[in-house]
Order: sequence, then C-alpha cells, then structure tokens
Amino acid sequence: MGEPIKQIKRILHVPYEWSYGNTLQKFFQFTRDEKKIMGARCKNCGKVLVPPTKVCGRCYSDTETDWVEVKDHGEVLNFTVVYLPFPGQPTKPPYAYGYIRLDGSATTYPHMISNIDFDDIKVGMRVKAVWNEDRKGSLFDIKYFEPE
Amino acid sequence: MSEEKSGSMVLKGFIEIPYTWTTGPAASKFLTALRDDKKIWAVRCPSCKKVYIPPQEFCGACYVDATEWVECADEGTITAFTIFHKEIPEQPLKPPYAYALIRLDGNPDTDLIHIITDTDLSKLKNGMRVKAVWKEEREGDILDIKYFKPIEG
Repeated sequence: MGEPIKQIKRILHVPYEWSYGNTLQKFFQFTRDEKKIMGARCKNCGKVLVPPTKVCGRCYSDTETDWVEVKDHGEVLNFTVVYLPFPGQPTKPPYAYGYIRLDGSATTYPHMISNIDFDDIKVGMRVKAVWNEDRKGSLFDIKYFEPE
Repeated sequence: MSEEKSGSMVLKGFIEIPYTWTTGPAASKFLTALRDDKKIWAVRCPSCKKVYIPPQEFCGACYVDATEWVECADEGTITAFTIFHKEIPEQPLKPPYAYALIRLDGNPDTDLIHIITDTDLSKLKNGMRVKAVWKEEREGDILDIKYFKPIEG
C-alpha cells in the first residue's frame, strides 16, 4: 500500500519526419558527402545565404541554381550560454549557441560553440567548424564550432 | 538524423513532452485500487443508476455527483474488438494484439477499453469471456492490468 495517487507524471513521445526539400537536401548532401558548406546566391542582390533558402527573403528572387562554397570558419555575431536543462536539447547543459557569419556568406548560421571557457566567448571572435566523422546529413554533420 | 526515402532526404526527429495530470478524486481511487488491491472500481449515478467505468465524478446525463462506488470483477464479456496488426510508435505492445470493449461483471452499462492478447486472435468473438492478467509490479496505471485473455473452456 502506498499513498493515494493524485497526479500522473508522464512523457509524451512524439516522433516526426520532416522533408528537407530540394534546397536544404542539396545543402546537407554537400555537408555529408563532401564536408563542404554551400550557400545559395540570390540572383538579384547577390547575397550568399547559409543555410540556403530557395527564395531570397529580401528580394523574393530565386537562388537555388547558384551554389557558392563558403568557408567552414567565420565570426561570432551573437551567442548565448544555456545552463537550464529542458527536454529536447541536443546535448547536456551547459553549452553555448552562437550565430556565426561564415566567411563568404551574408547571413548567420546557428550552431554550438564548444572547446572554450564560456566566459571567454566574445562577439566578434573567430571560430571554425569541427566536423563529425560519422555524417548523416543534418546540422550535426558539424559537431560544433571552436576557437580558430 | 536523416535518411533518404525514394530520393528525398527526411529528417527523423523526436519531441518529448513531459506533462502532469491531476487525477481528481474518482480517477485517484480507481488507479490507487488497481495498484494496491488489484480491484476495478466503477461509479453509479444516484439519479439514473447508470454505472460508469472508468469512474467519473459526475453523471454527464443527469449533472449529479456520482457518489456510489461499484466494484467490478476482473473478468467480463467482449462487447466489441479490433485487431491491431500495424506497428506504430508508442504502442503498449508489439502487434498483433486486439483492443476490446469489455463489459466487466458487476457493471451492466459501460465498457472498459483494454488489450486482449496471449491467445489466438483469429478466434476472438463478441460475447467471449475474458479475464485480466495483472502485473506483479503495479504503479497505478491502467496498464497495471497487462491485458485480458480469454477464459479457457
């Protein structure tokens, strides 16, 4: 015999599938098969978008046929350190997320920043990608970014 | 992680949603009795006399508090069933198994939904007698009854 049950605590598991679509599929095939980060150049404004989108958000112009390789290193434009554990995290806290402008691109690429004391992360610092050996065609083809 | 399905890359993701559900007094008694006593309780509406399982706090037809507790047997009769062959995420068991509406002895009015397995499913029939198979380690969950199985003979 135990205490009367007054509350039920459960976890609802929701598996889902999401199709990348033409543009992101190509992007992730490049990261998976060639360890290359490819951006899409807008045919109107010429900006290189990473991750690529089929249509430039500023110009509404097609991008997808014009692929440009960008560097796997760049500059931290913004970051945040996560200390709070919550469900669905990619890894155990603490960890840092950064917005990274890869050299050769006009946009920011969100990823984790690691191998650094979090107090030392600064806006404007240079970081480079650490690639996963076992790449499956997802954001985690890159493990994280670390100081260059 | 992603995989390619007929040439298209598909990301397979997984969301976990933790939640807390407050049982209220009726479900509290129902679940606690499953765990502690291996007993199945229903309630009777004092006005229309209808018996409800799982128990609820009031009668939806009469809007009066359902206060009379009715003990059901852990065996009963199949009212309806369907056999599940397809594997889907988050199933309680590996298919094939059947979901059935079971009219427990002691409850003339409503059916408990539960699983029927550990038997030749092709021989299931409405009107067949079934009995609960209980878990040893019970935690106050409807699956403290593992499943129902037909009573032999």
